[in-house]
Amino acid sequence: MQADPKDVFTGSYYIDGDVAAAYGAIAAGCKFLGGYPITPSTEAAEAFAKRAPEVGALFVQMEDELGSIAAVLGASCSGKKAMTITSGPGFSLMMENIGLGAAIEAPFVIINVQRGGPSTGIPTSTGQADLMQARWGSHGDYEVIALAPDSPQESFEFAIKAFNLAEKYRVPVMLMTDECVGHMTEKVVVPPASEIEIENRKYYRGPADAYLPFKRDENVVPPIAKPGDGYGLYMTGLAHDEKGYPIFNRDTSLSTTRALVDKIRLNADKIIEIEEDSLDDAEVVVISYGITSRVALKAVELARKDDIKVGALRLITVWPFPEKKIVELSKKVKGFVVPEINYGQIAFEVERCSHGNANMILVPHGGASVHIPEDIFGAIRQVAEDKKRYSAIVSYKTYLEKQVFG
Amino acid sequence: MDSMDQVVDVFSDALNKSKFDRSKVSVVSDVYLSPEAVKNLGVDFFHTTRGSAIPFATGLKLGNLGLKVVVFIGDLLTIGGNHFLHSARGNMDLVVVCLNHFVYKKVGGKERQDFHFHLSPYTSYEEPFNIPHLAKSFGAVYVARWTLLHTRELANSISEAMQKKGFSVIEVISPGVNYFLENRSVDGVSDLLEYYYKNSEVKNEVDTKKVVIEPNKKIIVGRFVDRERETFIDSYNRQLMHVIGKKFREYK
Repeated sequence: MQADPKDVFTGSYYIDGDVAAAYGAIAAGCKFLGGYPITPSTEAAEAFAKRAPEVGALFVQMEDELGSIAAVLGASCSGKKAMTITSGPGFSLMMENIGLGAAIEAPFVIINVQRGGPSTGIPTSTGQADLMQARWGSHGDYEVIALAPDSPQESFEFAIKAFNLAEKYRVPVMLMTDECVGHMTEKVVVPPASEIEIENRKYYRGPADAYLPFKRDENVVPPIAKPGDGYGLYMTGLAHDEKGYPIFNRDTSLSTTRALVDKIRLNADKIIEIEEDSLDDAEVVVISYGITSRVALKAVELARKDDIKVGALRLITVWPFPEKKIVELSKKVKGFVVPEINYGQIAFEVERCSHGNANMILVPHGGASVHIPEDIFGAIRQVAEDKKRYSAIVSYKTYLEKQVFG
Repeated sequence: MDSMDQVVDVFSDALNKSKFDRSKVSVVSDVYLSPEAVKNLGVDFFHTTRGSAIPFATGLKLGNLGLKVVVFIGDLLTIGGNHFLHSARGNMDLVVVCLNHFVYKKVGGKERQDFHFHLSPYTSYEEPFNIPHLAKSFGAVYVARWTLLHTRELANSISEAMQKKGFSVIEVISPGVNYFLENRSVDGVSDLLEYYYKNSEVKNEVDTKKVVIEPNKKIIVGRFVDRERETFIDSYNRQLMHVIGKKFREYK
């Protein structure tokens, strides 16, 4: 289905990634933003607040992030496309209700403009250290989808993608942008509505007495119903049966919990998107995402000048993780280089998926800026030349020695 | 039977009284209230996390302005306290039925020290909130308090609150049987219910400053506040129409 032309601000803009993400959300049909301002995400909420009244959407400044995410879940249950916008500390506060959202399978989007952490960290500067939190932050088993844009243009496009995925799979979708992308101003082209593909949740249309809200179709995603339509919904974060009623036995907890996991794992191939560059004959593969992938471009260029056969793989969906691709690559390359603005998150995931077949060098970064391309280049050269075996943790220790002891 | 189930029975009476289309009524509760009875009410039910019922209900209502949203809550002034005051300030169109189980419950005074609670096994020494007074000062348009045995009055109040536009608060004085009350025997529960009922005094329209619950004093019950204020969304639509003009698309 095409986007509603009233929701799309078609044109060419010179805007930052935060504003672009807000425009993307509006274009996707988002009609409710419950949020609490936090640097460096505030510009996105400001842009939404500014434009929402033109498109019949509503921005509510909630009292805190717990309230924001709860209101987003409520609005989503009522049938509105809903999202919240936040950064690290706010993201932490939202965790409990992200789990509720996953359990009742409410479609919603969180834009997390990552900043330096932990705690208050470096509010005005960049970080990529919330990736594992996005995946595992709420207690218990569930799966999410997370996307990592590397430019304002992608912030716009991935915001639309995020809503489409949320609606299709009824899961929390995290747009994991970062301060650098969020505050970077570039040209953003908003296409006409006819060129924007929109996905809407699938509604149940049958008789009310036959409705089982959690009975699953072949894609493991149940059709949804709205309150007020006479279906007598019973939605709870407790383990529930197909009717939604709480029930605590082994079979039911299997059916609820497992379904939350299955609907992403069984559809992972359809969801995962990556960008490949010269992987066919690569000896070394740089795996990166978000702003770091743009820095890695320079490192790859330096390595190619040095005649190193280097390929690049960029994660567009960070979660679900492209395991198959990494396993496949690990069998034919010498090793991976994973630069990220944290002290090892996705690097360990790459290492897990490489099954010990390939070397693995983590190029960590503490935040407040992006990598120096030469650091990544150094790691590429090391993998290309070195015969020693590296794991992420060994490479991290090597990195520390170089940093601290010369 | 938990006091939550009893209040849901009263709510069912209120629904009959108010002649609301039940399919347009949504009930939101926080975590420790999971009433079996709700299943048979014919309403939509959302069972949220601790303290989240009010903001969830806020989103639910704003997501579909045609719904009548009623919140049953126990965590009104603990983990959900901040949500309560902001929702009242904004005059969100919700009915909040708060079950006061006396977590901070210096209520019985000397003559009722046989009632101990799990988390205060040596009787209570903390001062309780004055919920009606807080609700009024935060901006609620309708405030009442009843004990659980004032079934008719409580059903009336819920029904009245549901007719109103805006943030309504009804405090229900009730023993929290499953979680708080140590003496769970039928005698113990009904005894406590009786005690609350007999120790109460109806004073409608009384100044909420005077309804604080104190040891060895009557529990003042009644309808304390009934006033009009523009709701959040009416205020939003009016104000933005005024400021933005023709370009504004009303939020529906």
